[in-house]
Amino acid sequence: MRIGARGVTRRFGALTANDSVDFSAFAGTIHAIVGGNGAGKSTLMRILQGMDRPDSGTVIVNDQPVTLSGADAAFGLGIGMVHQEFMLVPGLTLLENLVLAHEPVKAFGVVDKAAAMQAARKLEKETGVHLDWSMRVDDAPVHVRQILEILRLLHRGADVLILDEPTAVLAPAQIRDLMALLKRLRDEGRTILFISHKLDEVMAVSDDITVMRSGRIIRSMAAAATSKAELAELMIGETLLDIVAHKSEVGETVLKAEKISVVDADQVERLKGISLSVAKGEIVAIAGVAGNGQEELTSALTGLSRLRKGRVELCSVDVTREGIAARRAAGLAYLSPDRAAEGLCLTASIVENAIAGHHRRKEFLSAGFLKLGRIRHHVDALLDSYSVKRAASSLPVGRLSGGNQQRVAIARELDGDPACLIACQPTRGVDIHGIAFIHKCLLEYRDRGGAVLLISEELDEIITLADRILVIYNGEICGELARGSDVEKIGGLMLGGVR
Amino acid sequence: MITILSASIGRMRSGGTWLSSVVKTLAPLVLALLLGAVILAVAGHDPFEVYRLLVAESFGSAKRVAATFAASTPLIFTGIATALAFRAGAFNVGVEGCVNVGGLAAAFVGFTFVSLSGPVLLPAAVLAAVIAGALWMLVPALLKSRLNVDEVVTTLMLNFIAVSLTAWLVNGPLLAPGSANSATPIVADAARLPKLMRGSSLNAGFVIALGLVVLYWLWDRWTALGYETRIAGLNARFASASGMNVPGLLFRMMLLSGAIGGLAGGVHALGNVFRYVSGFSPGYGFVGIAVALLGRGNAWGILLAALLFGALSTSGATIQLFSDVPIEIVNILQGLIMIFAVVRFSNIWKVRRT
Repeated sequence: MRIGARGVTRRFGALTANDSVDFSAFAGTIHAIVGGNGAGKSTLMRILQGMDRPDSGTVIVNDQPVTLSGADAAFGLGIGMVHQEFMLVPGLTLLENLVLAHEPVKAFGVVDKAAAMQAARKLEKETGVHLDWSMRVDDAPVHVRQILEILRLLHRGADVLILDEPTAVLAPAQIRDLMALLKRLRDEGRTILFISHKLDEVMAVSDDITVMRSGRIIRSMAAAATSKAELAELMIGETLLDIVAHKSEVGETVLKAEKISVVDADQVERLKGISLSVAKGEIVAIAGVAGNGQEELTSALTGLSRLRKGRVELCSVDVTREGIAARRAAGLAYLSPDRAAEGLCLTASIVENAIAGHHRRKEFLSAGFLKLGRIRHHVDALLDSYSVKRAASSLPVGRLSGGNQQRVAIARELDGDPACLIACQPTRGVDIHGIAFIHKCLLEYRDRGGAVLLISEELDEIITLADRILVIYNGEICGELARGSDVEKIGGLMLGGVR
Repeated sequence: MITILSASIGRMRSGGTWLSSVVKTLAPLVLALLLGAVILAVAGHDPFEVYRLLVAESFGSAKRVAATFAASTPLIFTGIATALAFRAGAFNVGVEGCVNVGGLAAAFVGFTFVSLSGPVLLPAAVLAAVIAGALWMLVPALLKSRLNVDEVVTTLMLNFIAVSLTAWLVNGPLLAPGSANSATPIVADAARLPKLMRGSSLNAGFVIALGLVVLYWLWDRWTALGYETRIAGLNARFASASGMNVPGLLFRMMLLSGAIGGLAGGVHALGNVFRYVSGFSPGYGFVGIAVALLGRGNAWGILLAALLFGALSTSGATIQLFSDVPIEIVNILQGLIMIFAVVRFSNIWKVRRT
């Protein structure tokens, strides 16, 4: 065994990211690790690469238990990783990045460009790829950067390459090239571990496949011995239904999107003409694996980004040209998926967070001055009704636990009963009790006549809450299902139309 | 009075009370004094004697207190001007430029429209300073709020332009007739800010400065605009997602910052110098950055910090006369205080970036 783990457990607070994981990868193989978000794949890879240390258990390298003190120690054993966010210096050329931190030098510390170029040519010969080495990283397209990252690892002598979702940012033709490169490297005897959501490429390229779910290894097997359908089933598992929600009365349409398309900075189409509608008294969920257009859809519907093509209606008013302030005024509420950076202002007080966006209501404002006493009473009553545990409302909201922070965010968004709520990952990083409470809040809001668009990567959550489920894949809605649909069918659609 | 203030400040503020903000403001001072004492001892002076002299020279008599207040006046303005922009998340280092254009504008009105009576001329001159300062900040404010151009670069560079532009004007078109040095004519008596104490340069500008501190406190603690500005400065993404107009806030606060910087120059011109001369501001705008940082953007903290720097500059000027302590030791103390103040700031910076 080239690299592996024995009984590795890693906890982050109440969350067990890896739960006694046993993992083995052999030299000369491509080993895919698949699983939903939060399954523990990235944590395991970070442990194998020395960036993180297990609470218990051990990493195995060449059949020997080792303790990796850091990424450098892992490099010393031939283990390197390409992260989702590339670690390149934008202002330097590809060649400079290739040799960075291990530059060949001449006298007086001058970088030996000729020797660096020689090393680059040698790598080109080995791998069969050709790059314009004088290009600056800023100017290099994303697939070139990716290849550069891989070549950097080879340059430093790594023969175990760990790739975290390498294809997430690539177009189909580039994915094929990358896969060809990975196969070539494998045939030369290297070991490649890669994380992916995309079952097609996993089946096409890997020799072994390990499925993870909720921090555990569900099964490891040879790729030849399984199928896409079986993988999908293993990834999704059984669902727990702890809240039984019934269908409620559906009223008129509140939120309506018509054929919205979004193109990103690299001219890649991220949303391909999505239409959807949400009515009073229903929860419509967008189900899908991360990165299939959920973020773009959220920005387009909330008005955080300008929309080029398509139309958005809120309570029968065209708000396509409006920003988020006007859409909020028209009855929209938005629960951000990124609580720390967008959903809350962690350094501001609990009161300041809970009142944000409501502070210009007539009852809280006179002649430009805030009625702080009234605001304080209002916020305290509001947060008490959401059972937010806090020592004082004047403390920074960042001092609350994750679950209580999320309660503050939800309390703020549902304050004053908006017409429509776009709730993104409402239970991310929240413990099991918090999850049940947040689900109850969303259902109660729906029953009061609220319209909810739920964007979540948690299939359990969607099954529990949604009255209708829209499955998003590759920027398109690829299916609509009613409450009570077969879980495996949803999972199949999420993974690109299996069965 | 103080108990009422402290009770109400604590309300919406994240954690800090009046007392704790004073303690946090004073911490860099205490650290600087300790380190300064070591330096003095090494240099062969008695630190306690030097510090006693410094205190006596800045607060020892009514006259010395008046001198300290007078020296603090421009620093209160520039401190608040800088703090306003900081609150919105803009690191405005261009207040120095606003002080210069504001000072020249006030002086220009003061020596040109001499036929106007006091109640008209003085406010007109002050207003000219305010407008000049705001206009000077217009381009960086537009660039920052619309195109996200780094305001540190634009405002810093504009300082050099302001100093050079005003220097050229007072050497050419606005040079006082018959004057050899680069200075404008003297402003009319009617345009001068009234003195508060005979034989001292303390003038009504100090009262305006105190009024501005109270206004700033009201704005910061009690108004919707102050609240939105604070939130936008702490987390712009959150503020935008909550429906606040972050570019608009940035734009307005940078203009306001420029206006108050201009006011600093106007008050200095109409209360102390009575004209605009080359070398008009000995870096009031830059010391204002230290004042804002040391005062942690808090109204009373800024007031204390401005008084402290005012006291140091007053006592520094006279301490040489009564002891063998060189003025450089006071400059070292000032520098140390600034360093400790900036250490605090780097913490805030870290939080904001994550």
